[in-house]
Amino acid sequence: MSRNLWEIKRLRLKPELIWSMALSSLRLRMGRTLLTLLTVSACCAFLLFLLTAPISDDPADRQMWGLMITLSLLVSVAGVLNTMLMSVTQRYREIGTIKCLGALDSFVLLSVMLESALLGLTGALLGIVGGLILSFGMGLLDAGAGVFAAAYWSGLGWKILVSAFVGLALTTLGAAFPAAVAARMPPVEAMRGEK
Amino acid sequence: MPEATAKTNADYWMADLSQAVDCTVMARGVEVVYEMGSEKIHALRGVDAQIFTGEYISIMGPSGSGKTTFFNVVGGLMKPTAGSVYIDEIDIAQLDAGELAWLRCRKIGYIFQSYNIVKVMTALENVMLPMLFAGVPQDEAQYRAVEILTRVGLGERVLHTPKELSGGQQQRVAIARAFANRPAIILADEPTANLDMRTGEEIIALMKEMNREQGVTVICSTHDHKMLDISDRIMWMEDGLVKKLARRDEVDIQIDEFEEEHRE
Ligand SMILES: Nc1ncnc2c1ncn2[C@@H]1O[C@H](COP(=O)(O)OP(=O)(O)O)[C@@H](O)[C@H]1O
Ligand SMILES: [Mg+2]
Repeated sequence: MSRNLWEIKRLRLKPELIWSMALSSLRLRMGRTLLTLLTVSACCAFLLFLLTAPISDDPADRQMWGLMITLSLLVSVAGVLNTMLMSVTQRYREIGTIKCLGALDSFVLLSVMLESALLGLTGALLGIVGGLILSFGMGLLDAGAGVFAAAYWSGLGWKILVSAFVGLALTTLGAAFPAAVAARMPPVEAMRGEK
Repeated sequence: MPEATAKTNADYWMADLSQAVDCTVMARGVEVVYEMGSEKIHALRGVDAQIFTGEYISIMGPSGSGKTTFFNVVGGLMKPTAGSVYIDEIDIAQLDAGELAWLRCRKIGYIFQSYNIVKVMTALENVMLPMLFAGVPQDEAQYRAVEILTRVGLGERVLHTPKELSGGQQQRVAIARAFANRPAIILADEPTANLDMRTGEEIIALMKEMNREQGVTVICSTHDHKMLDISDRIMWMEDGLVKKLARRDEVDIQIDEFEEEHRE
């Protein structure tokens, strides 16, 4: 009687596969990709615009401005988080399926995070360009030729960095939490998750 | 009734063990309890079964009898509440995440009632995926995927996405994908339930051919009595228990009996 016992091996993470999975996911879900890009870049553009906008000296005005900033920032943050949450929950079934085919939890998590980081980065870049155009236009209206003075743009570097960072972080973390939940689910549960 | 069942199982075990055949899957006292709020649903109440290397075993039973749950447990897709599943004498509860992924990737091929083809990918990409996870180089995976898709009759449609394929064709993609890494076990959970009868028969015939050609163990649940003819053995489940487990040649009469017994 030949009794061939398997030698159980261990599957390892394949980094090159994470890349190709993230890229093909972006390509194959083009509609979703563009929507996310729009949301992220709008959020970043808006943030950069707010940071660079001229603020009046009147305390009442400043208070009003602060309130508006906070509220609208909350709205766009919620928009990005919601988009990322939906983009992951929509593919619970797919995540369950690829786990049946041999995907490791870490593969699921890392490929979703890489995908959203790429989205976040691109969105942030687009958003910064948009935000700068917006601020420039606004400045032209507000300060006329003064907008060309270097002083008008003081601290622009860190403002750009802050808005890019916020966009990137929101996108990546917004996807990471639902992805971590989905990655850890037993495959059957994930496959039941969504129709 | 539980006593009678235990006796039936034990009888078959004795018979099985005396034949000393290689055994691929062994379930011992598998129980699964689903908790829905305060309610507890006993989906499996102590299932014992032994499945031999290279056999085609059909699992029958009314809906809700626990077939899907049994599959999920045997396939390492969920943990049982009690009991153990051994695959080639290895208790799968002992495996770590990487080993479990390896088992799912290399040793088991899954076929689901609802196909579960990755929607955004082509047939080719779907079949390549398990090979890529297994570490097969891209070119070779592609070559082999085309080969297998041709084998299941989809050679002309490798670049189609699920949207562009009929149910039967999607299930063929799923079969190609399940066989991609030349697994030792194919687990098919009502693979024909969403298909018309003729397509269903074709799918079953295809699985049987693969079973013959590759010597892979096929465990397939079905409602359809016509599927029984190609099985080596048949296992009946009822109410979370194995009601009967018999070789095909032993059951001609028993099918009718069973039908009589369980006519609503
Ligand atoms: N996720 C679940 N949560 C709660 N109960 C479940 C779940 N899955 C199955 N059940 C219950 O467990 C029993 C067995 O179900 P299942 O294994 O799907 O049977 P079958 O595949 O034979 O139809 C049924 O009573 C079913 O309602
Ligand atoms: Mg079922």
